[in-house]
Amino acid sequence: MEKNVVKINELVKRYGDLIALDHFSLEIKEGEVFGLLGPNGSGKTTTINCLLSLLSFDKGDIEIFGKKMTPVSYDIKKEIGVIMQNVAVFDELTVYENIDYFCGLYITDKAKRKQCVEEAIKFVGLEDFRKFYPKKLSGGLLRRLNIACGIAHKPKLIILDEPTVAVDPQSRNRILEGIQELNRNGATVIYTSHYMEEVEQICTRIAIMDKGRKVAEGTKDELKRMIKNTETITIEILELPDDVRREVSGLPHVYDVSFEDSKLVISCSGGKHNLTRVLDVLQKRELSFGGVYTELPTLNDVFLEITGKALRDKED
Amino acid sequence: MQVFKTMFKVMRSRLPSAMIYIIIFLAISAFVTSQSTKDNKFEMNRLKVCVFDEDDTPESRALTEFIGKHNDIVEIDNNRDTITDSLYYKTVNYALIINKGYAERLAAGETAELFGSYHMDESYSVVYMSKMLDEYTGSVKAYLAMGKSLEEAVSATEAAMSQETEVEMFRVDKGGDSHFSVDFAQYFQFMPHILVSVIISIVSLVLVTMNKKDIRYRTNCSCLKNSKYTFQLFFGSFLFVLFIWLIFMVAGTVFNKEMYTGRAWLAVLNSFIFSMVVAALAVFIASFEPKDNILNLITQVLGLGMSFFCGVFVPMEILSDGVLSAARFLPAYWYVRANRMISEKDAFSSEGVMKCMLIECLFIVVLVLMTILVRRLRYSSASIGSAVKKAAA
Repeated sequence: MEKNVVKINELVKRYGDLIALDHFSLEIKEGEVFGLLGPNGSGKTTTINCLLSLLSFDKGDIEIFGKKMTPVSYDIKKEIGVIMQNVAVFDELTVYENIDYFCGLYITDKAKRKQCVEEAIKFVGLEDFRKFYPKKLSGGLLRRLNIACGIAHKPKLIILDEPTVAVDPQSRNRILEGIQELNRNGATVIYTSHYMEEVEQICTRIAIMDKGRKVAEGTKDELKRMIKNTETITIEILELPDDVRREVSGLPHVYDVSFEDSKLVISCSGGKHNLTRVLDVLQKRELSFGGVYTELPTLNDVFLEITGKALRDKED
Repeated sequence: MQVFKTMFKVMRSRLPSAMIYIIIFLAISAFVTSQSTKDNKFEMNRLKVCVFDEDDTPESRALTEFIGKHNDIVEIDNNRDTITDSLYYKTVNYALIINKGYAERLAAGETAELFGSYHMDESYSVVYMSKMLDEYTGSVKAYLAMGKSLEEAVSATEAAMSQETEVEMFRVDKGGDSHFSVDFAQYFQFMPHILVSVIISIVSLVLVTMNKKDIRYRTNCSCLKNSKYTFQLFFGSFLFVLFIWLIFMVAGTVFNKEMYTGRAWLAVLNSFIFSMVVAALAVFIASFEPKDNILNLITQVLGLGMSFFCGVFVPMEILSDGVLSAARFLPAYWYVRANRMISEKDAFSSEGVMKCMLIECLFIVVLVLMTILVRRLRYSSASIGSAVKKAAA
């Protein structure tokens, strides 16, 4: 049985009257790439801060690597790497010096540190920039430097908080591949992001948070099965008489039909051969139609259905 | 000592501007020191005098000869334009006209209307020559009253006035075991400005950089103990301040051409305590995490403000009581007070000097307490929990 790397039990954190975390529990197994999703203000960053003992909490327990996490658990902190959304590097130091500084907070042996720094530079592909100052680096290179500073000491648990914000597609791809490689090399990863396709691409298990609570957890397929929508059919059609629309709405497994801008969109919940049944109705009524598309639900659909479509303007 | 080493790497970016400050200060100090005199010689001042003898008698010629012994006689044309031009361009300091009838009036014991003159108003040469002529004619008159002939009276006056008084220069600041000259005191006097400018601009900047929110976050996540982190920051700051202070102390011995002795050590101690006050002030300012341009502004305001209000640039004698009362709340005031006592500009008392130094030390304690308070308030207002509060403390 796989060991728990992180175990959060009934965590409660209050800021005055505001409950940031409401009996939040979570278990992350060794070797997982765990996605933590949630709208702004859902409690993701508070969870991470509590996890790292940077914030005290009102109730609950946190265990990392089977040991209770406290502000002075330096033996646990030694095994954790943190990569935050904001690039946290010194403008006054070169790429090499920056990685060396942050690596040196964990590794005091000079020779070992040098090797780790070199490996980190190679890992993020900054070999040609080791003597550059951060101000001379592009946004993508800066993000890569930020990652190198967080993983140079070879942590067993890596926490990434939206590391690909404002990054070009090439750099983003490189970063995601890098995270997967770190995971293949044995690191357990906690990943938060607003980019659903990224989470879908790299995470093995996902938890969705809202209002300080965990509202869903599972693999991406398990999450998709939790929602009502299992298939969305879109058909380009010039006109749709009301009686046809009513007939389509009455088909088995169809729970929503909309017609706008010459597009008929049919949402189905479960069942098989939904598309065939819809096309049979249209052909029987001799209605001509153009393109036909069918889509399976994405993580984005799951996220929106679980957390709602209302705008969230609070900062997390 | 990763944090300690990185502090000095961060300092690199600010060192050029600090070095400019230091070099300018040392260059000005070197210039001032080279200009000051330490000679103990006295020499009579000689004026450039032109004499127009309209009387042309043996007595008037004797006076001209007497004037020439103590001054340099310059010959120019006797017309008003030439004389005023010469006075304007200072080729002549005083133009004396011995009026016709000089000898007769002198023989009659009259001293009025013996001379006419051209001179610059209010100049020291006017006072000097007038005094000499009054003394000369008064003396002749006295000898005549004694029954001497005019010729004898003139000779006796010349003999009497030719006697020179022996003058010995004595510098009160170089006596006893006190080797703290006025020039040396001046060097220490200007030190607060340079110490504030250099230490605050560098130490505050480094501390602000090291404690930037995101960087501090990452450091707090690491396995480096908070106590070790804080110790390295303070040790690095202390070493830098010590290094800067030592530069000025070594330069002081170079400019003064001798090692510190006697009372000069008190000035050295005073400057060291003041450096520590400035270091504490730098840490306090850094706790507000000001931006770079704001930090520069604070440095300038504090450096110049303390220098002007506390008697660094402007002598305390000409500062108003109101300004001096307000300045008591600034550490530079007590530094200058102590420095003035050590250099005997004010009456020296070892208790007085110690009191000033103790008050400077109190500033350090107050600044440290205020730094702790500000950091606690800032952290709690940012709703960061006890873990980070402990780190701040």
